[in-house]
Amino acid sequence: MSDAFCSDCKRQTEVVFDHSAGDTVCSECGLVLESHSIDETSEWRTFANESGDNDPVRVGGPTNPLLTDGGLSTVIAKPSGGSSEFLSLGLVATIKDRANEIYKRVEDQKSSRGRNQDALLAACLYIACRQEDKPRTVKEICSVANGATKKEIGRAKEYIVKQLGLEQGQSVEMGTIHAGDFMRRFCSNLGMTNQAVKAAQEAVQKSEEFDIRRSPISIAAAVIYIITQLSDDKKPLKDISVATGVAEGTIRNSYKDLYPHVSKIIPSWYAKEDDLKNLCSP
Amino acid sequence: MADQGLEGSQPVDLQKHPSGIVPTLQNIVSTVNLDCKLDLKTIALQARNAEYNPKRFAAVIMRIRDPKTTALIFASGKMVCTGAKSEQQSKLAARKYARIIQKLGFPAKFKDFKIQNIVGSCDVKFPIRLEGLAYSHGAFSSYEPELFPGLIYRMKQPKIVLLIFVSGKIVLTGAKVRDETYTAFENIYPVLTEFRKNQQ
Repeated sequence: MSDAFCSDCKRQTEVVFDHSAGDTVCSECGLVLESHSIDETSEWRTFANESGDNDPVRVGGPTNPLLTDGGLSTVIAKPSGGSSEFLSLGLVATIKDRANEIYKRVEDQKSSRGRNQDALLAACLYIACRQEDKPRTVKEICSVANGATKKEIGRAKEYIVKQLGLEQGQSVEMGTIHAGDFMRRFCSNLGMTNQAVKAAQEAVQKSEEFDIRRSPISIAAAVIYIITQLSDDKKPLKDISVATGVAEGTIRNSYKDLYPHVSKIIPSWYAKEDDLKNLCSP
Repeated sequence: MADQGLEGSQPVDLQKHPSGIVPTLQNIVSTVNLDCKLDLKTIALQARNAEYNPKRFAAVIMRIRDPKTTALIFASGKMVCTGAKSEQQSKLAARKYARIIQKLGFPAKFKDFKIQNIVGSCDVKFPIRLEGLAYSHGAFSSYEPELFPGLIYRMKQPKIVLLIFVSGKIVLTGAKVRDETYTAFENIYPVLTEFRKNQQ
């Protein structure tokens, strides 16, 4: 019961709200003042002693621009996506979104059929990491790629870059990987001190000035080996190999290549000339 | 190699090779149509230096020593000849293979001989900053040191693929005539000098 103005009675009268019909009715003359009201209150009741596991909310999730219809239709079966790959590598949401976007664009061209799906997914992930300036090594991508090989991922990556280039009319820019890109992560995996990390980063920067014909990742591993050998917390080759994914023999050979330049590569604030002499000869 | 020694002794035609460097041809791939059906089993049994594994590959693989080449001979009469060091040697080798086929009793002809691919290589003898090159020529370059140590350069005109290594060694592939290889190298040489890695 409440009061409202009745146009027939021409005065304020008491009104009744009919919940089942959504009508507001004048209690004196029966005139329907308002019809089809929307009941905005909760359609169910909650009690303190009830369990909270049932959620009767009727609305769905937000629209997903990566799906063809924005995610508004109902999916009968949900195939396993690439989500599990992201968890293992500790990647942030921006990289995940970028990879999904790349995959959708390639998939939309309908030309990826018959290709190795695992390698395609891995390559999308690899490209996304590169484009977000947080590159991962191909070996790291391989470890979450459901058995796709390094070569397969490399080919899939070339294919994707070509397809996206055709779509955009220009080449897809990712730049080139540097040893410094991986240095912080590798050092973190090894639990190195901040001072050692800083020295290692400076060292790989300087190493690029020399004609050392090694993969940047091998150089990063060799520099880490040198820096740790000069510190109190020495790391065995095996640990460095596990942290960087570079074989022990390769690290040894890269160390041999770097050895003639250590006095120019290692920052002077980190190690004196006398300390460098203590490095074992390769 | 002998070819390189010979070419080294000749004065370089600077009109044609302003860089002073002439790429050495390393491999020629050519095709020819013998224009008759071949019984590969018969060929494999009668000919010397012939391999035939139909389960693995549907052609007879035949080799001759001079010029040192390998031929793939298909039942359709098509033949692929690889391994020659010059166009003339490739044609000579193909003729020799055709002659062998004729002696085995097949009415082989020699139609539509064509050079399909020429691979050349040379050394500019200075180190190259591949990353700078890849950055400046991004539209043509692919440089993934994790996957392949060289920079893959896809030149548009002439349509040649170059492999460029830090050491200064260059491989040029995809040419159908010799001059395409030479032109491609003369095109890339100024770029290589621009990205020369100066030693500390």
